[in-house]
Amino acid sequence: MPWQKYTLAFLITAAIFGTAFYLTNRLDARRLADIRTTQEAVSIDILSTETQFELLGNLDCTAISSNPVLSDELNNLAGRLSVAEENLGSTNAEVVQLKKQYSLLEIKDYILMKQISQKCPKVKFVSVLYFYSNEGNCPDCGRTGDVLTYLRQTYPGLRVYSFDFNLDLSALRTLISLNKIDGSNLPAMVINNRATVYGFKNLDDMQKLIPELKTLATSTAATTTSAK
Amino acid sequence: MDIAALGIYAALFLALFFEVILLISFFEKRPVGKTSALPSRYPSVAILVPCWNKGATLAPTIHSLLDLDYPKDKLNVVIIDDGSTDNTWEVAQQFVNEPQVSLYQKHNEGSKYAALNFGLARSDSELVGCLDADSFVDKDAMTEMAKAFEEDASVMAAAPSMKVNQPRNLLELMQATEYTFGIFFKKMFDNMAAISVLPGPFSIYRRSLFDKVGTFRKAYHTEDMEMAFRMHAHHLKIVNVHTAIVTTNVPNTVPALIRQRTRWSRGFLENSRDYSYMYLNRKYGNFGMLVLPVGLIGFIAALYSAIYIVYNLVSALVLKALSFVQTGLPLHWPSIRLDWFYVDTSMMLFLTLAAMVMTLVAVLIGQRIANTKLGFKHIASYFLLFGFVAPFWLARAVWDTVLSSERGWLT
Repeated sequence: MPWQKYTLAFLITAAIFGTAFYLTNRLDARRLADIRTTQEAVSIDILSTETQFELLGNLDCTAISSNPVLSDELNNLAGRLSVAEENLGSTNAEVVQLKKQYSLLEIKDYILMKQISQKCPKVKFVSVLYFYSNEGNCPDCGRTGDVLTYLRQTYPGLRVYSFDFNLDLSALRTLISLNKIDGSNLPAMVINNRATVYGFKNLDDMQKLIPELKTLATSTAATTTSAK
Repeated sequence: MDIAALGIYAALFLALFFEVILLISFFEKRPVGKTSALPSRYPSVAILVPCWNKGATLAPTIHSLLDLDYPKDKLNVVIIDDGSTDNTWEVAQQFVNEPQVSLYQKHNEGSKYAALNFGLARSDSELVGCLDADSFVDKDAMTEMAKAFEEDASVMAAAPSMKVNQPRNLLELMQATEYTFGIFFKKMFDNMAAISVLPGPFSIYRRSLFDKVGTFRKAYHTEDMEMAFRMHAHHLKIVNVHTAIVTTNVPNTVPALIRQRTRWSRGFLENSRDYSYMYLNRKYGNFGMLVLPVGLIGFIAALYSAIYIVYNLVSALVLKALSFVQTGLPLHWPSIRLDWFYVDTSMMLFLTLAAMVMTLVAVLIGQRIANTKLGFKHIASYFLLFGFVAPFWLARAVWDTVLSSERGWLT
């Protein structure tokens, strides 16, 4: 019986498996590095806009409004994080770290945009704070994410900030307590700083909940970043 | 990780392991090309041609036999009309004056083995071959076979290299590639002394074999497979003569293909059960230790993979449809993101690609062994279609085996 041949074949097959495992891990590591680089760039952009805003105050709203802040980059990051989460799992330490950074950037962008829109009325700011959970206790989160993704693609001016409710991040916990979000009743949405809306809403309901959408320009060029 | 996916990884491991073994066998003992050497003696041969409703292809089959470069006084063609209801018998009449041809008509007994035994009893040659009445031999095929029997007196049966006759539609092109892959792995099975089937198109037997192990059996309409199993049970040698080329017609519709392959697959399952004592039994060498277990596990793995893929596909589609109904979103095609970031680079994808590359290498080697030429269409048809149609016959074979339903070899 040619056991040597069987053993050799087994080792070669194991080596093929090992190579596939290595390649997958290398590419996932590159993805994480890519997200990290993008987040750093977004972070610099936010800091730059904050600084610009502080320098100019409300004296020159045209300079601010001609530099719309980061909506595409944040959306792009959301999509990339969603892929990384799918590939590596939502409990992966690096993914969790990147999600925290992303959530911080979202909060900073939200605060900054709120300030800008208060001082510069010409800057339209329509926002949705969306709280979801992917721990299996939110069956409606996927569909709600689909509706928000569609709205964001249709109205590039709509800023959807999505947050994993269970993320252990003090700034996020503060945002949650400020808005009195009930974690047992997800999904939850805070639309333009109004009262929190709970549960799944279809496209029609959502359009009624955000009447400001009518003031935003629509886009036919859809991007497919995920809102979750 | 998705627990169900572990089964797919196990299936991929098995597929790769098997392909690696075949490739190692190839590098250990590469097939030698055709030589101009002739046998020192031409043994007498009877080629049995059992036919049921083969009026359309019988004549070219017989002409290809009569055209063989083999001494005419040593070659006898035995046509057995197995109760045809078409014009097979009329077609056979055109050979009535051929001294090399014997014509017989018999009542159909529902399976090919009876026709083969009928012909066996009416011939007395040293070698006995069979040829399905829709297959055609190359001129030197019998000489190549005779050389193999002369070179090694222990050879009791020999299988040829099989090609598809004039493949036209996608299904035939797919089978042309599959048969070329078959040429490779039959030769590698030969290297490992583990050939598992002696196909109807032009397998040749030493007559003394039948004295040792008996004649053909019904064997769930796969008498060619059962004979190979029985020979292994008796430790008798089977070789593959890759230089003996036979071309055969293949099913050109999906139902016909599924019927044929269901018969083959069920034959494997049933014969495996009858010869289960050979499984993982060292006494039966690579046949018992490798070919039988890998064949059976491969069967289960292929079915499991098909169920896994269909389940995932259907549940994704149902979820998508439900989502569209509930969300009220307009239907739209998913946009394509031209960014490497979104390309699937999962381990499963890399392993599937590795298995496909190894299959392609095997097909290319098969091409060289049998000096055949496949085009892009042949290979693309195989990779695109085979995985879709094979699960149907595997599932149906399991179903038939479980229910012990009788479909007959003619269906």
